[in-house]
Amino acid sequence: MIELHRVWKVFSVGPVKVPALSDISFRVAKGECVTLHGASGAGKTTLLRLLYREELPTEGDIEVLGCDVPALRVREVAALRRSIGVVFQDAKLLPGRTVYENVAFVLRVLGTPRREITPRVFDALRRVGLSARAQAYPAQLSQGEAQRAALARAIARKPLLLLADEPTGSLDESMAGEVIDIIKDIWARGTTVLFATHQARLAAALHQRTLHLLSGRLVKDEG
Amino acid sequence: MLGFLIGEALRDLHRAGRVAVAAILLTTLSLAALGGFWLVSTNVGQAAEQWRDRVRITVFLKQEPSAAETDELVDRVQAMPGVAAVRYVSKSEALGTLKEVLGKDASVAEQLPTNPLPASLEVMLNEQGATPEGARGLITRLSELPETDEVSGGMDWVDRLARGRRLLDVIGLGIGAVLAVAAILTVTTATTLVLHLRRQELEIMRLVGAPELVVRLPLLLQGMLQGLLGAVMAIWVLIAVYALAGPHLEPLVNQTLGLERLTFLKPHTVVGLMLAGTMLGGFGGWLARGRTAP
Repeated sequence: MIELHRVWKVFSVGPVKVPALSDISFRVAKGECVTLHGASGAGKTTLLRLLYREELPTEGDIEVLGCDVPALRVREVAALRRSIGVVFQDAKLLPGRTVYENVAFVLRVLGTPRREITPRVFDALRRVGLSARAQAYPAQLSQGEAQRAALARAIARKPLLLLADEPTGSLDESMAGEVIDIIKDIWARGTTVLFATHQARLAAALHQRTLHLLSGRLVKDEG
Repeated sequence: MLGFLIGEALRDLHRAGRVAVAAILLTTLSLAALGGFWLVSTNVGQAAEQWRDRVRITVFLKQEPSAAETDELVDRVQAMPGVAAVRYVSKSEALGTLKEVLGKDASVAEQLPTNPLPASLEVMLNEQGATPEGARGLITRLSELPETDEVSGGMDWVDRLARGRRLLDVIGLGIGAVLAVAAILTVTTATTLVLHLRRQELEIMRLVGAPELVVRLPLLLQGMLQGLLGAVMAIWVLIAVYALAGPHLEPLVNQTLGLERLTFLKPHTVVGLMLAGTMLGGFGGWLARGRTAP
């Protein structure tokens, strides 16, 4: 499902080279739920961005869903991303659209038949417990609800792989717990999950394999 | 999917607000200017055509031929390329015409000791002869006839009218082109503004792997819609100006150009203006996409 081999990512700030990831290698099998744990600046976000080709590695091989990610052409990147759901810390909901419209929007732009959109949107909202908030706008949602709406948007497309980049980063304990439960449910239904967090307690709460990043290096692979 | 894309384009148009309105108005202005010059040019061209049909070349003869010579001369001229018809005007007929023109002063002509007017041939031109080159060639051939004293008439002033029409076309195209560039830039600005407003949507679209066409098409459609709306408004403006000013201008046009009534643009020209507006707007939308492409 995911395979990284000796991946380096170095950012250039003027003449200065800043390594964000150093010699990262690991594999994630289909159906696994893996937590990526590390402090802020450890390289979690950069690593996830490499997986959905928002960044290119400076060196090394990356394979996701059978694709040689750095070698993909623009059209192939779009095709890869259609199989990946991505959730961010800031939810990235469209402020001018309701929760329903936010979820439906991605289905529409991907050409989902009209008759399938409403059932799929409500199925996704039901799974994250937001059916009653379908007509609410993002500004009317709590942070936890916004994050659940973002998860609904990601799972409505039925992705093979879910990349969650600190989705609980700005949530209190109970809201974070709700999000973790939803992620567990998504994983239980067969989606491979890579969940990035800086909170060691949440990493442990998933009771799954955890990759520990420290200053851009993979220092421990446990579980 | 197409319904969704059109819906998105309309939503974008609404979001662009006053900039979109400015783009539509500039498109209206550029196409109204172009259409206005086209309208004037069409009518001037029609006048030139009409006058070209009425052009006569008069061949004044050295001396009045006999009846047999007249028939032979008329047949010879009739056989020349560019000639539609030939009419012989005798000296006495010419004098009669002069008297008609003089009216109550016709007695002046009667006091002349001899008829000073020459016999002549009135040559009507066919399509081939009614061109500047055709008329010049025919005048040369008529001048070379041994019976010819002088040839008058021709296409000079019709030529000038045609040149004036071409000048109008060039001025119209020039002004239209300048305004069209302004309209394209405004449409580009409106679309760029929408791109800025839509940056979050575009980011989501890219992240979920939306096809490039789905990202690009609403912007193109938005530009095309602005252009089309501008073109429709320009045509309304032209119709209104034609309906309001036409009846007041017709007497003047009748006296100066000899046109009985002004004509509006032909349907294919109207369709052409609408297409031009749509393409102009589409180009503006496409330019905006190019400027902000990741």
